[in-house]
Amino acid sequence: MFIGVFRTTKLALQNFWRNLWLSIITIFILFLTLFSISIIAGLNLAADQAIKAVKDKVDVDIFFNTETPESEVLAAQVYLQGLENVKTVQYTSPEQALENFKAAHLDDENIQQSLAELKDNPLPASLTIKAQNLNDYENVLKSFEESEYNQYVQDKNFTNHKAIIDKLSLITKRIYQIGITVSLIFVIFSLIMVFNTVRIAIYSHREELSIMRLVGATDWFIRAPFVLEAVLYALISSISTMLLLYPLVLGATPYINHLFEGYDFDLLYYFHIYVWQIFALQLFTSLILSIVSSMIAIGRYLKS
Amino acid sequence: MIYFKKVTKIYQNVTAAARDMNLHIKPGEFVSIVGQSGTGKTTLAKMIYAEERPTRGEIIIGGWNITNIKPKEIPVLRRQIGVVFQDFKLLEKKTVYENVVFALEVCGVSYQRIHSIVPQVLKLVGLENKTNSFPKQLSGGEQQRVAIARALVHRPKILVADEPTGNLDSINTKEIIDLLLKINKFGTTVVMVTHNRDVVNSLRKRVITIQDGVIISDQSAGKYIL
Repeated sequence: MFIGVFRTTKLALQNFWRNLWLSIITIFILFLTLFSISIIAGLNLAADQAIKAVKDKVDVDIFFNTETPESEVLAAQVYLQGLENVKTVQYTSPEQALENFKAAHLDDENIQQSLAELKDNPLPASLTIKAQNLNDYENVLKSFEESEYNQYVQDKNFTNHKAIIDKLSLITKRIYQIGITVSLIFVIFSLIMVFNTVRIAIYSHREELSIMRLVGATDWFIRAPFVLEAVLYALISSISTMLLLYPLVLGATPYINHLFEGYDFDLLYYFHIYVWQIFALQLFTSLILSIVSSMIAIGRYLKS
Repeated sequence: MIYFKKVTKIYQNVTAAARDMNLHIKPGEFVSIVGQSGTGKTTLAKMIYAEERPTRGEIIIGGWNITNIKPKEIPVLRRQIGVVFQDFKLLEKKTVYENVVFALEVCGVSYQRIHSIVPQVLKLVGLENKTNSFPKQLSGGEQQRVAIARALVHRPKILVADEPTGNLDSINTKEIIDLLLKINKFGTTVVMVTHNRDVVNSLRKRVITIQDGVIISDQSAGKYIL
């Protein structure tokens, strides 16, 4: 077994070396495939994060009249929490609202002075509602307006981000569609390229192969060097893609992160976290592509 | 050792290279298969080492019915049958030694065993002093001896020689025939396809004559009759 592995590996390396230019071109095509898939995956991740970040920002603030008893506000909170489309309802008391306001304007002396001069707290109690889905806000607000608690409402603050989110979703969808098309084209190129490389390798080794068959080499022994060669293509192309992807991510991170300023998103952080998964996925993809092509090519030869 | 029972081989549904051939070759025999070009001699040889399958009939080699042999079983059969050709089929970039070693290497034989067998076989064919020569540096007869050495490394029970002297002059032809006789003397069954009248007549061994895919003569100490 060990001897077989050693000899087939030796033959695979010989094949690789003797058809060096062809091997390089094959690796380059595989590299382009992996690179395009990685870029598309990266763009999708960024777009998904953007949508998620915008979605997280969407909420509704309901401000109550200053005379509204706290018990009514808390009852309204319980009522809202009972609605099935509501994810969370956060209560902010007038005192808490004042604290928050002070904290937010700590450096503004005029505001701080004005607040100190006030005897009563002018800020109302409020409820911050987060719905399960973007489309749910309309229904939640409608239900609330029909409830008995609507009479206490002083003001509502609902910024509708739906248009932005729809636009982002559309862009993501387009990126995904274009990405899939480009990646598919490269996948087909890779399959054809590896297939032809192996066919050329078979042709250039036709004498050795015919003697191998004549003297009783097993199909496995004949097949293995070509499959190993394909594994080598996959390994080198995956490593090359990662080697190019890392500086690219490093260079792009400040720009991408700038776009997400104020949001919890860091491209480099994501790359570091998922580096092994990305590599494994690339290796898996390239292995499947190259092994399938080489198996078909050598299978056709062995059948002939 | 080799049984052909009513074997017919038809190519592309038209050309019959063998028709209802019945044949029995006993262990240790030296058999010459003769006939004109395109008469089915090589097809018969190819069917022995399962390079071709019969369209009809049965082929049994050493008790093994190989008529419908599975692809994965072919290597097992081929290790028991040595084959040599008119054009030698040697690898130009490998030395004599490497050419012979190659046959064992690709079958997973250990280096220890390879280094024990190969010198013995090269000595048997008289090439022990040419181990580092490349095929192009050898005469036709020597190249054929390398091919025979390669065919013998698995210690086959049968040696199929398809026109082994077709590319050789009379001196080299005699050397190769003498070598095949020597191998036969050690107990290997030799099946030689040839159209060399002088060789066949000088051997005085069994001769099977084929014409248009049909065995027209089978003589135990025969002559070239066509």
